[in-house]
Amino acid sequence: MNLELSLFSMMLIPFAAAGLALIHQGLGRSRSAAHAMLASLCALAISAIVFVLFGASWAGYSGAAIHSFVAGGVHWDWLGAAPFFAQSISFDGSDAAGLSRSLVLCFELLAVGLTATIPLSAGADRWRLGPICFSSALLGGIIFPIFAHWVWGTGWLTQLATNFGISNFTDVGGAGVIQVVGGLAALSVAWIAGPRRGKYSDDGIPTAIPGHNIVQVLFGCILALVGWIGLDSAASILFYGAGAQQVVGIVINATLSASAGCLAALVITRSRYHKPDASLSANGWISGLVAGSAACAMISPIAAIEIGLSAGVLSTYLIEIFELHLRVDDPGGAVSVHALAGIWGLFAFGLFGHFPSGTREGHILAQLVGISALLGFILPLIYGGNLLINRWSTYRVDDDGHWHGMDIRELGAGAYPEFVIHADEFVPR
Amino acid sequence: MKLVACMMLLLGFFIVLVALVLLTSVGERSAFIAAGLGVEIQGLALLTQAYRTHRKEHR
Repeated sequence: MNLELSLFSMMLIPFAAAGLALIHQGLGRSRSAAHAMLASLCALAISAIVFVLFGASWAGYSGAAIHSFVAGGVHWDWLGAAPFFAQSISFDGSDAAGLSRSLVLCFELLAVGLTATIPLSAGADRWRLGPICFSSALLGGIIFPIFAHWVWGTGWLTQLATNFGISNFTDVGGAGVIQVVGGLAALSVAWIAGPRRGKYSDDGIPTAIPGHNIVQVLFGCILALVGWIGLDSAASILFYGAGAQQVVGIVINATLSASAGCLAALVITRSRYHKPDASLSANGWISGLVAGSAACAMISPIAAIEIGLSAGVLSTYLIEIFELHLRVDDPGGAVSVHALAGIWGLFAFGLFGHFPSGTREGHILAQLVGISALLGFILPLIYGGNLLINRWSTYRVDDDGHWHGMDIRELGAGAYPEFVIHADEFVPR
Repeated sequence: MKLVACMMLLLGFFIVLVALVLLTSVGERSAFIAAGLGVEIQGLALLTQAYRTHRKEHR
């Protein structure tokens, strides 16, 4: 393993979280901007602490104890059983295996933070800070570790070839473990918190609530590219044994898929509305990054462009479908951009990937099994967990909070105290 | 309605697991895995519909 390269790649990952935080707050209202940034910090902090205390034990690592059972004559490895508080990982250099374990812990610590920031986009302008912390703890302590163990540990999705004769589920850069898990959490939050007040009229017709700072959104996209390159590279090195030459390919593929996604959204909005839409183009950029991360080290540059292009087209139309027809108020488009583009990326690996072993049919089947696990097991778990938290600590801010904004309601001060916030911006219809 | 939708999500996943354990031919497995995913998508649609209905009633 290339230690320097993996460490350098990991140090880039926080840029992805910074980029997403800027995008979330830029696409929200000005009266909730400080709250959105503080919520991102809280999500990173809580998920990191809870992950190291408990989650890392369940995520496990190669060679650690596991929880398993036998059913249908098959050995199902479903959860790690390493000691809590990361006690089995040494940082003093005395243990040769300790280095790779500590690198995996470090990577997953940063990845879980990124996962926890994704749902903030769907809950913008109405999701209270307390429940955000509890929900981040749920993601960092239970949900992320389970799926990370299945995909990046020794879980049953990595044993599909041995147990069932098809290929193993592959998610190189975390399109499933990070993006789809975060995106499904975003969907649960959007359902539970409900739409922003004034978003839909009595007839159910949506009102456009534009983001307050599109410059920060677009800057967030560039930061996210840097972070994504680090994320894809570090995961490829740690879990799939990628070398320096493959990392170069990852940088090229990530850039190409993001570019294709952005240009697809730009062309579609230009042709439909006569002018390109900046926020949808930003979403196209991120959806390209998300979709490209599933197979980043195992596709050609042409395939990266095709995957990004499809993700950009998909996300542009899906954002509209969710808002207009399904009435899911998701200000940052997290459900389309992270969950659905992530699912497309996982499936696209079966279509476009270069496989060291196994048939294309076997890989497509394995990817479908992984997608099924995300929708059929992880989604109910996330949704149920968030419902329980909502019973105990209500997600949705009260009507006063909607009127005054989350900054004044929860923090006591606005993000832009020297500017007059439009009083007529929010008129119930 | 929401509980039924969640049960459908779990049922779809169960169908996929059963297909993996009990079936061996690629064609049969593919069909059952597709069916399991179909049930999951229906569960997802039902859950979305449940929230749309809930909002209309509370408006």
